[in-house]
Amino acid sequence: MAGLEESGTDPAASYADPQGDPFLRTRFVIPARPVTFLRRERLVRHLDEALRTPLTMVNGAAGAGKTLLVADWAAARDRPVAWLTTDAAEQGPGMLWAYLLHALRASGTSLPAEIGCPADASRVPPNLLARLAAELSTRDRPVIVVLDEFDRVIDPEIADQLEFVLHHAGDGLRLILVTRTEPLLPLHRYRAAGDLTEIRGAELAFTAEEAAELLGLHGLRLPPHATHGLVERTRGWAAGLRLCALAAQENPDPELYLKEFEADRTTVADFLLAEVLRRQPPETQDLLLRVSVLDRFRPELVNALTERTDAGPILAGLYRENAFVEHLGQDWYRLHPLFGEILQAHLRVRSPGLEPELHRRAAHWLRGSGALTETLCQGAAAGDWEFTAGALIDDFAIGWLFTGLRSDELAELFARMGPEAAGPATDLVRAAGDLSRRDLDRGLRHLRRAEQGLTAELGLTAGPGDPAEQALTAEWSPAGEEPGLVAARLSCALLEALAARLTGAPGRAERAATAAETLCDQAPAHLLERHPELTALLLAHLGSARLWAGRFDDASAALSRVAGASAGASTALAREDSLGRLALIDYLNGWLGRAERKARAAVTETERYGLPQPSGSGMGRLVLAAVAVDRDDLGRARALLAEAAESDPALRDPVMEAGRAIATARLHLARGDTRAALEAAERAVPAAVISPWAAGQTALVVSAAHLAGGRPETAFEVLQPLSDEQPACAVGAARAQLAAGRPGAAIDLLDGVRSEGGAGPAVTVRALLVRAQAAAESGDAVSSRRLVAQALREARRDGLRRPFVEAGPWIRPFLDAMAPRVPATDRATPGAVASDGPPLPLVEELSGRERDVLGRLALTMSTEEIAADLYVSVNTVKTHLKSVYRKLAVNRRNDAVRRARELNLL
Amino acid sequence: MRYEIRVDGHLSEVLTRVFPELDHVVMSGQTVLFGYVVDEAHLYGLLARCQSLGLRVLEMRQLPE
Repeated sequence: MAGLEESGTDPAASYADPQGDPFLRTRFVIPARPVTFLRRERLVRHLDEALRTPLTMVNGAAGAGKTLLVADWAAARDRPVAWLTTDAAEQGPGMLWAYLLHALRASGTSLPAEIGCPADASRVPPNLLARLAAELSTRDRPVIVVLDEFDRVIDPEIADQLEFVLHHAGDGLRLILVTRTEPLLPLHRYRAAGDLTEIRGAELAFTAEEAAELLGLHGLRLPPHATHGLVERTRGWAAGLRLCALAAQENPDPELYLKEFEADRTTVADFLLAEVLRRQPPETQDLLLRVSVLDRFRPELVNALTERTDAGPILAGLYRENAFVEHLGQDWYRLHPLFGEILQAHLRVRSPGLEPELHRRAAHWLRGSGALTETLCQGAAAGDWEFTAGALIDDFAIGWLFTGLRSDELAELFARMGPEAAGPATDLVRAAGDLSRRDLDRGLRHLRRAEQGLTAELGLTAGPGDPAEQALTAEWSPAGEEPGLVAARLSCALLEALAARLTGAPGRAERAATAAETLCDQAPAHLLERHPELTALLLAHLGSARLWAGRFDDASAALSRVAGASAGASTALAREDSLGRLALIDYLNGWLGRAERKARAAVTETERYGLPQPSGSGMGRLVLAAVAVDRDDLGRARALLAEAAESDPALRDPVMEAGRAIATARLHLARGDTRAALEAAERAVPAAVISPWAAGQTALVVSAAHLAGGRPETAFEVLQPLSDEQPACAVGAARAQLAAGRPGAAIDLLDGVRSEGGAGPAVTVRALLVRAQAAAESGDAVSSRRLVAQALREARRDGLRRPFVEAGPWIRPFLDAMAPRVPATDRATPGAVASDGPPLPLVEELSGRERDVLGRLALTMSTEEIAADLYVSVNTVKTHLKSVYRKLAVNRRNDAVRRARELNLL
Repeated sequence: MRYEIRVDGHLSEVLTRVFPELDHVVMSGQTVLFGYVVDEAHLYGLLARCQSLGLRVLEMRQLPE
């Protein structure tokens, strides 16, 4: 991996690594000062002010000497400075903050892992900035952060976010922006408050004395009037003076030469650059023109472009002369940004049409060196799609198209690919794009074509069999197999598994997973390790397909492997997805507490990494909504369902749709709207196979609706066929039998329920209540009371309330009698049950500020975060909280939020 | 929209190629680039291009259609 260093092995650093793609170390390195660098004390002194003001801005034209001034100053600090050279390629806030966090850690600033890390290029996790600011604000000495080339950052959101962090970090942060254009921060405010140090173009301009000194460093001694003339002509522009020196150096009569320059009317940079370029040997000229297509380069890469071997000494020489190139350390160089543009213009004139070829050569070299992201950029610039798609697939990086910081960037990059690009790799990339937008028809068509292409490459005649089958499972001939083919087949398997999941086809998912397992054994281990998202996505898809088929244990096995995988941004989406589905399994088995814990973990994962959609896959919130219904917390259930409405299209599979239908239908049932419940439950979820639990849950809702409508016979018939398999359905059927006046049959049904099923309280409590009701109706009050008490005990830990509300009026006397003896189950006591009526009205209205605090409380923000967000002190927030609690008649934050929801204050 | 951008100094042939969408004329120590500008984004793009080439923009104005 020439020159591209892994960002180190310490967990914090790799944690910040958003994609497993090595960060370019050069982005975090303070640029080196050339030997001819002139330190100007007046500027250094002014820059020292930066230690006292939160914000410093150094702006000036390209080549004004901004970067070198700040770099020289930063290198002289007695403590590390976090340096980040921004890049035009990354536009989104997520990317910038990921790099910024990395720059902080790379400079030795320790940050706790809880701060989190963005996993999506366009978003920053909601509380990340507040956590970062809070962390910085505790520092004794401020952390100095330099953002170089900040003019490349054009997203106004980023300016707002920087402003937020700067404001809340207080004296813990000193931000220095080096930029050609004024940033979108409210500079006037900082200026008015004396919180801004600014060094602008006029101040950066060289005075005649400084210019004389600079020329002296280049070995030029000029009389004062000549220097003066130069400063006038270049207006003290550093790059211009530097070029003057270079151009004049080799002239027999520098003074005369510079006089001519003064008289010339051509634009300064253009003229000087052409002059200096002309004086270079032809090899150097050729080299400079060719590297103008690259952002950064090192000798080997340049040799690949020039097809010579002399880049090393030429680059070193150019750097020594301080001409054109800047040294980034570790053998990496870049062109001075100003000269890059002009050189590119010269290249287009001198060698028209050479550019794509240069991009192609660079792409090939970069691919060999393992720099995937840059390979893809150069390959795309060359318009060589077969190569570019091939590089992505061969690197086992297909998962990048679905998840992580680069998915948007890559989607955009490959969107430029025309239909003429052919080959299995391009079809795989197209299929992945289609499937991630949930365009199944096109996705499958492209996937088939890729599979046919692969089959052909495997040397198999396209037989009558299933191309997927052949492409995935064809026997391996050990000799002559390209490793690239393994990657392509593995990518195929991933897409097959995804397609299987989206269409609810578990058999197909199993086949893909089996094939993938064999292929993984043949794949180079280091590549698979670099792409943990590939395996994670595959297992998540497999687990979801199994879950749809009702094979809960097998599904849990696959999903738990993903959920238990090590944390990291690249697998965040798969982990969140898997946790949400594990939560659903617990919910379906009747274990509300466990379901809630996993669903919360899923939601936390989303917030920690700022996953693309407001709720990642959204499954976590759906399960929380269903749990809330069983706890008879209907306001909360409704709010959660609304939040879960938006979800990642690539994860919107039948499981998700059925889960949403169940949660919605149960909420409607609880509110007594049976028609809406039936409508929600019976909405068809298209899938290849029927899911037993989805059918069971639908039947339960339908049955409950019939029961509510006084049709116990129909209610029973709906559930009867399913009651052998699913305990929940058996309990529902028993309840219907009881309602139909057949208590004996009801008890028989309950006795027949297999106990080894591991059903949780949501099922067992309902079963106990059916028995209790049967006992009550037969006049056996003692047994009935005992059963109700047992049900209350079992319901207690999970806060299960709904079954007691559902049970009907017969249970009232039992609960009333028991209430004083079971105080801990207060939520299931009659007083609470009666909350079906309107909640107690608010005695005193909340103030606007109190509502602000309450709203943030509902977002699970901490007191400190709320304070930071509202620009007030922690004590003020506490005061507001106290009066909120008083007005809502609660004494805990959770209760405050719940109560506020009941009162529709949120 | 038609615009003209006046920059300081004479632009070399090579540099004018960086603005293939615009015509240019050189006069009295200045170069005037002019032509159709598609939209605001294009306009700001042109300004950025001038800046990245180290050109000094003296004037920029919209021309009557």
